[in-house]
Amino acid sequence: MKRLLHGKEGVWFLVGLAAIWHLVSTYVPFSGKYLFPTPLVTFKALWISLPELLKGTGSSFIILAPGYLLAVTAAIAWGILVGTTPALNRMFSLFSRLASPVPPTVYIPYAIALLPTFRTAAGFVVFVGAFWPVFLNSVTGSSTMPQRYRDNARILGLRRAEYLWRIVLPAALPHIFSGMSVGLVFAFIMLTVAELFGASAGLGRFVQLYADYADYPRMVAGILYTGVVVLLSMELLEQIRKRVLFWVK
Amino acid sequence: MGIGKNAMTATTTQQEGLEVEALRFAYNGTEVLADIRLSIAEGEFVCLLGPSGCGKTTLLRLLAGLEKPASGTLSWKAKPITGPSLERGVVFQDYSLFPWLNLAQNISLALAKAHPEMGKKWRINLADEYLDMVGLSDARRKHPFELSGGMQQRGAIARTLALGSPVLLMDEPFGALDPINRAKLQDLVLDVWSNAAPRKTVVFVTHDVEEALYLSDRVVMLGSAPGRVIDELTVPFARPRQRRRLAVSPEFAALRERIDGQFRQDVLERIDSEEFRTAGDI
Repeated sequence: MKRLLHGKEGVWFLVGLAAIWHLVSTYVPFSGKYLFPTPLVTFKALWISLPELLKGTGSSFIILAPGYLLAVTAAIAWGILVGTTPALNRMFSLFSRLASPVPPTVYIPYAIALLPTFRTAAGFVVFVGAFWPVFLNSVTGSSTMPQRYRDNARILGLRRAEYLWRIVLPAALPHIFSGMSVGLVFAFIMLTVAELFGASAGLGRFVQLYADYADYPRMVAGILYTGVVVLLSMELLEQIRKRVLFWVK
Repeated sequence: MGIGKNAMTATTTQQEGLEVEALRFAYNGTEVLADIRLSIAEGEFVCLLGPSGCGKTTLLRLLAGLEKPASGTLSWKAKPITGPSLERGVVFQDYSLFPWLNLAQNISLALAKAHPEMGKKWRINLADEYLDMVGLSDARRKHPFELSGGMQQRGAIARTLALGSPVLLMDEPFGALDPINRAKLQDLVLDVWSNAAPRKTVVFVTHDVEEALYLSDRVVMLGSAPGRVIDELTVPFARPRQRRRLAVSPEFAALRERIDGQFRQDVLERIDSEEFRTAGDI
């Protein structure tokens, strides 16, 4: 949040955008106020929906957090192994080049059909969405690690496990963190899309529900709220990154 | 093949210390080192002196076990060098320390390898002692990015001390330092070398003639393209040496002149032979 307020330009831009929104929704008569609610109506809707939205956030994070954390852990571990083992890299790279560009949203209907509960299905697609960016960055980070770290590790006679844990992992962390922020955005996209399909709660479900009821002020409020949640989550990740990577200038 | 024969004679004539026999090294088809022969006694301080591109860093990496020779042998105390070992500590020009660990943690990582049986607390305490020895008492918990180049190199020296390596390999360790810090660290290395019992064997790579003459017992001069030993000389000055006295000593000036002359001569010979070759092509 601090960064958002640091440059006042960003704030003024948002104020301007809200003003234009107000003017257009008040004075341009195209589809009526129901489809395009004014800012005031929308924020009122946001206010009264807040308890429901907070509950929805909780329900979303119950799916998002395990899926994302599992994906990050698996992607870092596997990525570092692949990045430091040429034979493993040769074995896995064809598959990863084939599988990683597939937009993970295409898995949603099948995951829902295949897996026993909505939660496991949504968790799975969140996992897939977050896995590839983190994995690819872990491979890059560990395979392009400066030679001098390797030399020093060899001088000290580090065993492979120590080498991976104490040298390669920290050295690859700058790459890994950029993969993690891309992965987090993907995780949110996957989750909300999955919730549009078949959730009983959650942020995507909230938007879908009020769209079905044609309650557009609430729907727009849900979209705005989701944006803020993603922003705050990204900011949290950024703060963690700064702490962990204190040694990177 | 001659290689096998050389290896045979190497094992029969070997003494205690570092031995390099008929060493060749090539990189991408280019010969970097040609037929290097070198004997360094245990406890000796030897400088490898040469211009950039003479392969002195490569020779040091070979001694460290970080590279494998195309042919020839390297050994320490009659044992062949096949890879890195705690017996041979290395100080690189920059970046010997891991930036995500503070000084004590960097040293402690080395201690964990040298004394795997000891606990973490013991290691950190000992790490602090080594840091005190190199004048870094106030910087124990600082990370490399918070330290000057000179302090980082002090830390790197403390790390090799912690490894307890009898051999110290130093690759232009003070090349990036200002003259004052460079002089201080040269004296630190001399202290470390002469205070250890038994004395450490030091191979110190530099392109600075005065540094080589100030530090070493013996200077080995390497010429370029391909790297080879063009001459070596024993440094006669008694220890402890004093910079002030050396600076005005005619003997020091003569040695410096002799070394400069050798390198000049080598460059001229190289140029002549290349011109000759080019003329021959036409």
